[in-house]
Amino acid sequence: MAELRLSMTQEARTVLTDLLRLIAPAAARVSVNRANVPGNDEEIAGFWVETLSAQASEEARLLAAAFAGAKGEPAVIILKNEGQAHAFLRALSAVRLALRDLVFADITDAQLESNDELDDESLPTEKRHALACYVCFGLLQQSLISQLCPEALD
Amino acid sequence: MAKPKLKPEIKTESLVSAAPKWNVVVLNDPINYQAYVVVAFMSVLRIGAPEAKKLMQAIHAEGRATVWTGDRERAEMLALELQQWHLNSLLEKDG
Repeated sequence: MAELRLSMTQEARTVLTDLLRLIAPAAARVSVNRANVPGNDEEIAGFWVETLSAQASEEARLLAAAFAGAKGEPAVIILKNEGQAHAFLRALSAVRLALRDLVFADITDAQLESNDELDDESLPTEKRHALACYVCFGLLQQSLISQLCPEALD
Repeated sequence: MAKPKLKPEIKTESLVSAAPKWNVVVLNDPINYQAYVVVAFMSVLRIGAPEAKKLMQAIHAEGRATVWTGDRERAEMLALELQQWHLNSLLEKDG
């Protein structure tokens, strides 16, 4: 499989990197908290929590390294194989979930889905900023999927 | 003289009851994109895009769908793998 590339402006990379520094530690916690861990078997529940925690930490490291390593204009993130691409997709999903739970908890799903109505002055600056990043992370996912598995987008 | 053909009478009874089946259920979530869910199903369930899309559409329409049914151990692994993709998966005993 040819390597996959995600391009963005340096300005976008800087903004997204700054947000990732803030949200990544929480994203790991949110991933574990949201999981439907089976409660009737302590051994299995422990294994699940351990697995999800380890993965969340790994995803946070992957994202940080990928954004830090994206140099030039445009900034380009290169993913060498399908495994890396899948991990990157999951990591972006974790960050979006964390933003949903921690920053947009007071916004309904319907409002968030049609974010046009949120893109106004009614939201505090920090939330508008986080919303723009939330959308950008989603666009990066879509771009990656269009290269990795275009039939999923049809 | 030909011997009469005797049909042996065999009585069988089920001594072992079938192990219960478990469903891996995925709930709708408004955060992950549909294409992302399709890719996750293709990767975890080892199915093609058309089948993955059908499952995704069922979840979108009904709010939930059973994506796999079988023995408990495998069901647990699949549910965990789907959660590693940050999908809202859970286990339910079939029937």
